[in-house]
Amino acid sequence: MAGPLAPERTPDTTVDEDHDLARPWVTIVWNDPVNLMTYVTFVLQELFGYDEQTATTLMLQVHHEGKAIVSSGPRERMEHDTSRLHAYGLWASYQRDT
Amino acid sequence: MKPFRAARGGNVVARLDPAEATVVGLLLDQLEQLLAADAEDVGGDPVLARLLPDGHRGDAQIAADYREMTESALRGGKADDLAVVRATLPVGGGDLRLDVDQATAWLRSTNDLRLALGTRLDIRDDTEPPEEITGEEDQQLAVYYWLTAMQGSLVDALVDVRSGRS
Repeated sequence: MAGPLAPERTPDTTVDEDHDLARPWVTIVWNDPVNLMTYVTFVLQELFGYDEQTATTLMLQVHHEGKAIVSSGPRERMEHDTSRLHAYGLWASYQRDT
Repeated sequence: MKPFRAARGGNVVARLDPAEATVVGLLLDQLEQLLAADAEDVGGDPVLARLLPDGHRGDAQIAADYREMTESALRGGKADDLAVVRATLPVGGGDLRLDVDQATAWLRSTNDLRLALGTRLDIRDDTEPPEEITGEEDQQLAVYYWLTAMQGSLVDALVDVRSGRS
Protein backbone atom coordinates (compact mmCIF):
# COMPACT_ATOMS: atom_id res chain seq x y z
CA MET A 1 0.00 0.00 0.00
CA ALA A 2 2.75 2.38 -0.90
CA GLY A 3 1.48 5.93 -0.99
CA PRO A 4 2.22 8.04 -4.03
CA LEU A 5 5.16 9.66 -2.31
CA ALA A 6 6.57 6.58 -0.64
CA PRO A 7 10.16 6.44 -1.81
CA GLU A 8 11.17 3.40 -3.80
CA ARG A 9 14.45 1.65 -3.40
CA THR A 10 14.67 -0.66 -6.37
CA PRO A 11 16.15 -4.04 -5.57
CA ASP A 12 19.19 -5.10 -7.53
CA THR A 13 17.41 -7.93 -9.26
CA THR A 14 13.92 -7.24 -10.47
CA VAL A 15 13.57 -10.06 -12.96
CA ASP A 16 13.09 -13.33 -11.18
CA GLU A 17 10.95 -16.34 -11.94
CA ASP A 18 10.20 -16.63 -8.26
CA HIS A 19 8.06 -13.57 -7.72
CA ASP A 20 8.16 -14.07 -3.98
CA LEU A 21 11.90 -13.56 -3.97
CA ALA A 22 11.65 -10.61 -6.34
CA ARG A 23 9.28 -8.68 -4.12
CA PRO A 24 11.14 -6.09 -2.10
CA TRP A 25 10.89 -5.64 1.62
CA VAL A 26 9.41 -2.54 3.17
CA THR A 27 9.75 -0.64 6.43
CA ILE A 28 6.46 0.52 7.93
CA VAL A 29 5.81 3.16 10.58
CA TRP A 30 2.62 2.55 12.56
CA ASN A 31 0.47 5.17 14.21
CA ASP A 32 0.67 5.54 17.96
CA PRO A 33 -1.01 8.06 20.23
CA VAL A 34 2.17 9.26 21.96
CA ASN A 35 4.69 10.31 19.33
CA LEU A 36 4.25 13.95 18.37
CA MET A 37 3.50 14.71 14.73
CA THR A 38 6.37 17.21 14.60
CA TYR A 39 8.68 14.59 16.12
CA VAL A 40 7.76 11.92 13.55
CA THR A 41 8.36 14.39 10.72
CA PHE A 42 11.70 15.41 12.26
CA VAL A 43 12.86 11.80 12.63
CA LEU A 44 11.88 10.85 9.06
CA GLN A 45 13.91 13.80 7.76
CA GLU A 46 16.82 13.02 10.06
CA LEU A 47 17.06 9.31 9.23
CA PHE A 48 16.11 9.21 5.56
CA GLY A 49 17.07 12.67 4.37
CA TYR A 50 13.54 13.39 3.13
CA ASP A 51 12.62 17.00 2.48
CA GLU A 52 10.06 18.53 4.81
CA GLN A 53 7.15 18.03 2.43
CA THR A 54 7.85 14.32 1.82
CA ALA A 55 8.35 13.68 5.54
CA THR A 56 5.18 15.59 6.41
CA THR A 57 3.14 13.65 3.82
CA LEU A 58 4.39 10.33 5.22
CA MET A 59 3.70 11.46 8.79
CA LEU A 60 0.14 12.46 7.85
CA GLN A 61 -0.37 9.10 6.16
CA VAL A 62 0.71 7.37 9.39
CA HIS A 63 -1.63 9.60 11.38
CA HIS A 64 -4.71 9.26 9.16
CA GLU A 65 -4.34 5.76 7.69
CA GLY A 66 -2.62 4.10 10.64
CA LYS A 67 0.62 3.29 8.83
CA ALA A 68 2.92 4.29 6.00
CA ILE A 69 5.76 2.68 4.11
CA VAL A 70 8.80 4.85 4.75
CA SER A 71 11.42 2.86 2.84
CA SER A 72 11.71 -0.21 0.65
CA GLY A 73 14.56 -2.38 -0.56
CA PRO A 74 16.55 -5.47 0.42
CA ARG A 75 15.66 -7.19 3.67
CA GLU A 76 18.92 -6.33 5.43
CA ARG A 77 18.45 -2.65 4.74
CA MET A 78 14.88 -2.77 6.04
CA GLU A 79 16.10 -4.44 9.23
CA HIS A 80 18.58 -1.64 9.59
CA ASP A 81 15.98 1.07 8.88
CA THR A 82 13.61 -0.50 11.42
CA SER A 83 16.33 -0.54 14.07
CA ARG A 84 17.15 3.12 13.43
CA LEU A 85 13.46 4.04 13.81
CA HIS A 86 13.26 1.99 17.02
CA ALA A 87 16.23 3.95 18.38
CA TYR A 88 14.02 7.05 18.07
CA GLY A 89 11.00 5.32 19.59
CA LEU A 90 8.94 5.19 16.42
CA TRP A 91 6.67 2.18 16.14
CA ALA A 92 8.18 0.47 13.11
CA SER A 93 8.39 -2.97 11.56
CA TYR A 94 9.61 -4.52 8.32
CA GLN A 95 8.05 -7.13 6.09
CA ARG A 96 7.94 -8.36 2.55
CA ASP A 97 5.95 -5.97 0.38
CA THR A 98 2.37 -7.12 -0.14
CA MET B 1 10.07 25.82 32.62
CA LYS B 2 11.34 28.12 29.99
CA PRO B 3 10.81 26.05 26.82
CA PHE B 4 13.64 25.07 24.50
CA ARG B 5 14.63 27.49 21.78
CA ALA B 6 17.45 27.68 19.27
CA ALA B 7 20.40 29.79 20.38
CA ARG B 8 23.58 31.02 18.77
CA GLY B 9 26.23 28.55 17.79
CA GLY B 10 23.77 25.81 16.87
CA ASN B 11 22.86 25.17 20.50
CA VAL B 12 19.47 24.93 22.14
CA VAL B 13 18.66 26.47 25.51
CA ALA B 14 15.94 26.05 28.13
CA ARG B 15 15.42 26.54 31.84
CA LEU B 16 14.01 24.01 34.30
CA ASP B 17 12.44 24.82 37.65
CA PRO B 18 13.86 22.93 40.64
CA ALA B 19 10.79 20.67 40.92
CA GLU B 20 10.91 19.93 37.19
CA ALA B 21 14.58 18.93 37.33
CA THR B 22 13.79 16.64 40.26
CA VAL B 23 10.92 14.99 38.39
CA VAL B 24 13.08 14.41 35.29
CA GLY B 25 15.78 12.85 37.51
CA LEU B 26 13.25 10.48 39.10
CA LEU B 27 11.81 9.50 35.72
CA LEU B 28 15.33 8.77 34.44
CA ASP B 29 15.87 6.45 37.43
CA GLN B 30 12.67 4.59 36.60
CA LEU B 31 13.55 4.29 32.93
CA GLU B 32 17.00 3.01 33.77
CA GLN B 33 15.58 0.32 36.06
CA LEU B 34 13.07 -0.67 33.39
CA LEU B 35 15.73 -0.99 30.71
CA ALA B 36 17.84 -3.15 33.02
CA ALA B 37 15.07 -5.78 33.10
CA ASP B 38 15.66 -9.18 31.51
CA ALA B 39 14.86 -9.81 27.89
CA GLU B 40 12.43 -12.55 28.97
CA ASP B 41 10.27 -9.90 30.61
CA VAL B 42 9.80 -7.94 27.41
CA GLY B 43 6.77 -9.85 26.24
CA GLY B 44 5.02 -9.55 29.58
CA ASP B 45 5.42 -5.83 30.15
CA PRO B 46 3.60 -3.51 27.74
CA VAL B 47 5.98 -0.63 28.49
CA LEU B 48 9.11 -2.66 27.73
CA ALA B 49 7.37 -4.10 24.67
CA ARG B 50 6.79 -0.54 23.47
CA LEU B 51 10.36 0.62 24.18
CA LEU B 52 11.90 -2.52 22.64
CA PRO B 53 9.33 -3.38 19.97
CA ASP B 54 9.09 -6.38 17.70
CA GLY B 55 10.70 -5.83 14.32
CA HIS B 56 8.28 -8.08 12.46
CA ARG B 57 4.56 -8.59 12.94
CA GLY B 58 3.19 -12.00 12.13
CA ASP B 59 6.39 -14.06 11.93
CA ALA B 60 7.67 -14.96 15.37
CA GLN B 61 10.94 -16.39 14.03
CA ILE B 62 11.84 -13.23 12.10
CA ALA B 63 10.86 -11.15 15.13
CA ALA B 64 13.09 -13.29 17.37
CA ASP B 65 16.02 -13.08 14.95
CA TYR B 66 15.62 -9.31 14.73
CA ARG B 67 15.54 -9.00 18.51
CA GLU B 68 18.67 -11.09 18.89
CA MET B 69 20.44 -8.96 16.29
CA THR B 70 19.40 -5.51 17.48
CA GLU B 71 18.14 -5.46 21.06
CA SER B 72 21.44 -5.08 22.83
CA ALA B 73 22.43 -2.12 20.62
CA LEU B 74 18.99 -0.58 21.16
CA ARG B 75 19.33 -0.90 24.95
CA GLY B 76 22.89 0.42 24.77
CA GLY B 77 21.80 3.47 22.77
CA LYS B 78 19.07 4.25 25.28
CA ALA B 79 21.55 3.89 28.15
CA ASP B 80 23.98 6.26 26.39
CA ASP B 81 21.19 8.82 25.87
CA LEU B 82 20.19 8.52 29.52
CA ALA B 83 23.77 9.17 30.60
CA VAL B 84 23.91 12.33 28.47
CA VAL B 85 20.64 13.63 29.94
CA ARG B 86 21.85 12.91 33.48
CA ALA B 87 25.16 14.63 32.86
CA THR B 88 23.50 17.76 31.48
CA LEU B 89 20.43 17.93 33.75
CA PRO B 90 20.78 20.97 36.01
CA VAL B 91 20.46 19.50 39.50
CA GLY B 92 18.17 21.74 41.51
CA GLY B 93 16.95 23.43 38.35
CA GLY B 94 18.51 26.09 36.17
CA ASP B 95 19.66 26.84 32.67
CA LEU B 96 20.28 24.15 30.10
CA ARG B 97 22.48 24.65 27.08
CA LEU B 98 22.87 21.69 24.74
CA ASP B 99 24.73 21.10 21.51
CA VAL B 100 22.92 19.20 18.77
CA ASP B 101 24.20 15.77 19.84
CA GLN B 102 23.22 16.34 23.47
CA ALA B 103 19.87 17.76 22.37
CA THR B 104 19.22 14.68 20.22
CA ALA B 105 19.92 12.47 23.24
CA TRP B 106 17.41 14.55 25.23
CA LEU B 107 14.94 14.21 22.38
CA ARG B 108 15.15 10.40 22.33
CA SER B 109 15.17 10.06 26.12
CA THR B 110 12.20 12.34 26.67
CA ASN B 111 10.41 10.40 23.96
CA ASP B 112 11.14 7.17 25.84
CA LEU B 113 9.84 8.75 29.06
CA ARG B 114 6.65 9.78 27.25
CA LEU B 115 6.27 6.33 25.67
CA ALA B 116 6.70 4.68 29.06
CA LEU B 117 4.27 7.00 30.86
CA GLY B 118 1.87 7.08 27.91
CA THR B 119 1.70 3.29 27.75
CA ARG B 120 1.19 2.96 31.52
CA LEU B 121 -1.54 5.61 31.45
CA ASP B 122 -3.10 4.11 28.32
CA ILE B 123 -2.96 7.45 26.50
CA ARG B 124 -5.29 7.60 23.48
CA ASP B 125 -5.66 10.14 20.71
CA ASP B 126 -8.54 11.75 22.59
CA THR B 127 -6.96 11.77 26.07
CA GLU B 128 -7.08 15.25 27.60
CA PRO B 129 -4.83 16.88 30.21
CA PRO B 130 -6.36 16.72 33.71
CA GLU B 131 -8.39 19.78 34.66
CA GLU B 132 -7.54 19.34 38.31
CA ILE B 133 -5.19 17.03 40.15
CA THR B 134 -7.23 14.77 42.41
CA GLY B 135 -5.13 11.62 42.47
CA GLU B 136 -1.88 9.97 41.51
CA GLU B 137 -3.01 9.22 37.98
CA ASP B 138 -3.85 12.90 37.43
CA GLN B 139 -0.37 13.76 38.66
CA GLN B 140 1.20 11.33 36.21
CA LEU B 141 -0.97 12.69 33.42
CA ALA B 142 0.16 16.20 34.28
CA VAL B 143 3.80 15.05 34.14
CA TYR B 144 3.11 13.38 30.79
CA TYR B 145 1.71 16.61 29.34
CA TRP B 146 4.56 18.62 30.81
CA LEU B 147 7.03 16.27 29.07
CA THR B 148 5.00 16.63 25.89
CA ALA B 149 5.34 20.43 26.01
CA MET B 150 9.05 20.19 26.76
CA GLN B 151 9.70 17.69 23.96
CA GLY B 152 7.56 19.70 21.54
CA SER B 153 9.65 22.80 22.18
CA LEU B 154 12.84 20.75 21.77
CA VAL B 155 11.70 19.43 18.37
CA ASP B 156 10.83 22.95 17.23
CA ALA B 157 14.19 24.28 18.45
CA LEU B 158 16.10 21.54 16.62
CA VAL B 159 14.11 22.22 13.44
CA ASP B 160 15.16 25.87 13.78
CA VAL B 161 18.79 24.88 14.32
CA ARG B 162 18.68 22.61 11.27
CA SER B 163 17.26 25.35 9.07
CA GLY B 164 19.68 27.94 10.41
CA ARG B 165 17.04 29.98 12.26
CA SER B 166 18.22 31.12 15.65
